[in-house]
Amino acid sequence: MHELLLFASVPAHQHHELLQQLAGLTAMQPRHRLERRLIFKAYRKPGLMNTRVGASQDLQGLELQRLNKMLNGGMFYTQVVGPVAETDFGAKPSSSGDAHVSISGLEDQSSPPYSYEDQPWKLEFRDIPEAGTRSAVTARLMASATLPKGDITSPMNAWGYSFITEYVVEGDVFVLNDIVIFLHRVLLYPTGAQESHGPRRQLPAYRELSPLERTGSYVLQAAITVQDGGNQEMMRTASQHLFGLREQLKSAVRLEQADRLSLDTRAK
Amino acid sequence: MSSLNQDQIKTLEQSRQRLIQLTHSLASLITSLNQSDPLPSWTSLQSQATIISNNLLTISDHLSDNRDLLANVVAYPDASYPSRVPTNNVALEQVLRTKLDPRVEDWVARGRRAGSSDSAALGHGQGLSEQALSDLWHWAPVEANQEARRRNWGGNFTLEEREMGIEKVVTGLTRVLDDDDDDDEDQSDSEEGEGEADEMEIVGVRRRSGAGAGLEFDIAAANNTPGAGTKVVAPVVPLEEILRFMTTGAVPGQR
Repeated sequence: MHELLLFASVPAHQHHELLQQLAGLTAMQPRHRLERRLIFKAYRKPGLMNTRVGASQDLQGLELQRLNKMLNGGMFYTQVVGPVAETDFGAKPSSSGDAHVSISGLEDQSSPPYSYEDQPWKLEFRDIPEAGTRSAVTARLMASATLPKGDITSPMNAWGYSFITEYVVEGDVFVLNDIVIFLHRVLLYPTGAQESHGPRRQLPAYRELSPLERTGSYVLQAAITVQDGGNQEMMRTASQHLFGLREQLKSAVRLEQADRLSLDTRAK
Repeated sequence: MSSLNQDQIKTLEQSRQRLIQLTHSLASLITSLNQSDPLPSWTSLQSQATIISNNLLTISDHLSDNRDLLANVVAYPDASYPSRVPTNNVALEQVLRTKLDPRVEDWVARGRRAGSSDSAALGHGQGLSEQALSDLWHWAPVEANQEARRRNWGGNFTLEEREMGIEKVVTGLTRVLDDDDDDDEDQSDSEEGEGEADEMEIVGVRRRSGAGAGLEFDIAAANNTPGAGTKVVAPVVPLEEILRFMTTGAVPGQR
């Protein structure tokens, strides 16, 4: 699948107004969305690499090159995304084993505890945006897959991905025809205390999260997903639709192609 | 039956030319409607319509100018006409027709009916007379203005909505709009603790001059923004850095 994107930076003071404008434009209420996003990075498994290609071994060299490429090429950052609710933040962890025992427990009435074991995850792979496309939209290859619930680090490790960091994305989604509009910002966990060797098992209170962008500005992302990226006609229609949206929102925000290298997911 | 003189032939030839022009412009309009997808822009449609109506005008002028001649001219086949060839016969039959083609007759009847109903409406008081029209134009602006003054243009709800009960009014957003005029009800449950001022802000947006992505905003109603002094602050971290963080976790400022 391919994804066509336009981005815009939205200052904090404009956020509320833009929400209303988008609600009017799309004739729908904003769908609030909170996501945990974990970033994983592919790493080289020791022992699988460093097959050096000698200059003399021409024939074998070719095969080795291919092997090398298979093993070392395609090292990417990937994201693991899990939806959360605001009530999950600051909730007491369900003391995992005792969950069944304390069914009669009175504390459970207040708010259902956040259970890391039941956290659903989705793997989202994004390629680096295509280079040298003539149309002024960001286009990239994408794929998503549902992952098992619960602790995700060990399966990811088994596939050769190591945990890098995690953050929370907070925002509102609108849908306009085939365009998905996501007005969002990045929230960071409070630093200190539990430092990152893996995803957090419990979430801090929502208030304690701080926006990555200190002024609280938002990012507006308009995306169209195209099933068959090889279909030039389809891709062109999709970018035409995005341009249409850009025209419509011209007086409010300036939607633009993102800097390609800022979306570079290749792991060096 | 005398034969035609030069002038008369010229007149006939002219009518032929103009009819050809008309059919051409009609045909081009039809093809452009049929073939271009999406439909041609309205400007081109309009210019084509103008051309056609001009054609019609010249034809109608021409026909009425030469009415005497054209009403009296009759066609008849010359002895030298090669009527043995069947294709020629078709043309001959067309030319010798004294009645209109049935299809054409339908069109004409339809046109006549439309025209007569229009003129009937004008004549018999269905439409407005000149006098009534100008009276209407004089009356309307004053009345509209008075109607407008009667309304209170601030606030979130209209009088009708307020009378029906503002709880049921569907507004654009889920946040609770508080009604300025009756403070006694509906104030308590403003969710998320957002005590926002509801006046609309008039925001002018312009491209920031010079380098850098982003926009600059002029807020007319300066201190209506919610809560603790949210000022007009341009984002500190550029969009690129945010996206980079979102994809690779590289903290902005240190790469």
